Amino acid sequence: MRLSSLSVRNVWRNRLRALLTVLGIAVAIVAFVLLRTVLSAWTVGAEASAKDRLGTRNKVTFVVPLPKRYIETIRQVPGVVDASYASWFGGKDPRHENEFFASMAVETKTLFSVFDELVVPPADRERWLNNRKGALVGDVLAKKLGWKVGDTVTLQGSIYPGDWQFQIEGIYSSTRKVVDRSSFFFHWDYLNDSLPEGSPQRDRIGWVTTRIRDPLQAGAISQAIDRAFDEQEIQTLTMSERAMNLSFLGMVSAVLKAIDLVSLVILFIMMLILGNTIAMSTRERTREFGVMRAIGFLPHHIALAVLIEAIVIGGLGGGLGLVLSYPLVERGMGRFIEENMGSFFPYFRISEGTAVAALVLALLLGLSAGLLPAYRAARLNVIDSLRRAG
Amino acid sequence: MNSSPQASPSGSDRGAASDIAEHARPTTAESIISLRGVRKTYFRGKEPIHVLQDLDLEVPVGGYEALMGPSGSGKSTLLNLIAGLDRPSAGSLLVAGADLGAMSDSQLARWRANTIGFIFQAYNLMPVLTAVENVELPLLLTKLSASERKRRAQTALRIVGLEDRMHHYPRQLSGGQEQRVAIARAIVNDPQVLVADEPTGDLDRQSADEILTLLERMNRELHKTIIMVTHDPAAAERAHITRRLNKGQLI
Ligand SMILES: Nc1ncnc2c1ncn2[C@@H]1O[C@H](COP(=O)(O)OP(=O)(O)O)[C@@H](O)[C@H]1O
Ligand SMILES: [Mg+2]
Repeated sequence: MRLSSLSVRNVWRNRLRALLTVLGIAVAIVAFVLLRTVLSAWTVGAEASAKDRLGTRNKVTFVVPLPKRYIETIRQVPGVVDASYASWFGGKDPRHENEFFASMAVETKTLFSVFDELVVPPADRERWLNNRKGALVGDVLAKKLGWKVGDTVTLQGSIYPGDWQFQIEGIYSSTRKVVDRSSFFFHWDYLNDSLPEGSPQRDRIGWVTTRIRDPLQAGAISQAIDRAFDEQEIQTLTMSERAMNLSFLGMVSAVLKAIDLVSLVILFIMMLILGNTIAMSTRERTREFGVMRAIGFLPHHIALAVLIEAIVIGGLGGGLGLVLSYPLVERGMGRFIEENMGSFFPYFRISEGTAVAALVLALLLGLSAGLLPAYRAARLNVIDSLRRAG
Repeated sequence: MNSSPQASPSGSDRGAASDIAEHARPTTAESIISLRGVRKTYFRGKEPIHVLQDLDLEVPVGGYEALMGPSGSGKSTLLNLIAGLDRPSAGSLLVAGADLGAMSDSQLARWRANTIGFIFQAYNLMPVLTAVENVELPLLLTKLSASERKRRAQTALRIVGLEDRMHHYPRQLSGGQEQRVAIARAIVNDPQVLVADEPTGDLDRQSADEILTLLERMNRELHKTIIMVTHDPAAAERAHITRRLNKGQLI
């Protein structure tokens, strides 16, 4: 027998109380893991973006497009392998009003060389390239909305008003996990040619994605591209795909910070609750501490016994919380989120860092909850605690 | 966890021992407990309560003494002073060769672990530990190996006749058995002095007699000096001497 086994057994002394406390911590840990995963999923797309790709957009704002002729200039910049442009369409399937997915008009002939992670059966690919009204959709989106190759789909445009008809010609998947498999790609030419002569939206492109030969040259090439348009009316801003994705994140960083704070506040509240529980259970055992002190145990032994008890509870809650988190976050919520919000969270999984942080925080939670009760138990007056009834 | 070693004398303890030698006064060689002018005053607000007043006491090595007196007369207070749990307001206590007044709190704790065995009225066993584990508890403060601790705990339980209840929890034992486990816990460190505060107060006659017989054996066979507070005249009769405490003084 050891002093630590005395602590461990005291944890289970009041089964119901121990169980509820451990469950409470577990729930707080699940909440922490979930919120953390939202945070890390939000950045993982950005972090895992291709290192050999640059994005070029309007220097002032995302919303105002670039002249189409810019693409030719960009292709001439040394170090550029290929470039592809696209415009945000922002369409909706009226039969699925509440489903959000990314719809984009893309330059078809360069799409696959710039986005080499896209996987499409060769026959589908041929048909899509040859059909001006053809659409290429992600497998996750197709499955969710029940689309098959050959279907005709009508999207309602918001930026480009009206009903737009497409034939689904191909379904893509991806070689990399972090790619959004819920996007809707169609021919930029179809969009452009449908716009009335003289429309300000004609011959405009939303952004250009560039593949470069050497990722180490990303900075220099970005500068070279932007310099090429220095004297133009519309200037550009070029950055790595990663930086571009992160700049999207910048817009929601306040929300992310709030989520971050909430996950810590939950743990703090749980610490106070655990502290109260430990204080209560040690107070009930005042007399036992008095006996131990009489026998010759020192104040630090008593403090240690209480701390071990608190840390064991914290660890059990943390472990249970983590065990519950995987099915809840990954299988339940994660799948739903990947399917429905794939363009924001292409990869919604618990990271190793989150799991370790959850466990460490649970242990720290136990430790800090135990500090005050441990201090008080250690300072008990021996005679007084022995006189205490019960 | 490595519980710190307390039982074996460390350097500082030896230092304390030489301090004690300086403070020592001549006593008869056979006296194991020697109290001079001990006073204990509690304060209830500003009003002093003189629980013990100028109390002298000599207990010979191997003595078995009963301490009687009305409730609130200071019996437990006196016992706690002798056991080094409390400090006097004035006077000196020399117990088992140590001048208690000259020792720090942690020195006193170590000294208690080595020298005093406690037996309480309410047994005070740890409910989450089995009988043998309860007996082993004081040994956690020693450097003994786990197997040696266990062996000694089992031996102590055998001495009190409970080897067949080793793995029972306190709630699975009768009051008399619980008190026997407590006695085993008190002797497992082989202390020189046992202090018992109304050890039979919660027991029926038959169990009480068993406990008293056991204490008698501890005194006779294991040569423990025993100070026992009791209300029970039958219990006091088993002791060599019965002292009475009244109004803070021994009569
Ligand atoms: N911590 C304390 N504060 C104030 N009074 C105390 C304290 N401890 C004991 N007393 C008082 O000292 C007296 C003696 O108590 P005690 O030694 O427990 O008596 P006994 O054991 O003989 O019944 C009682 O009047 C009690 O109320
Ligand atoms: Mg008393």
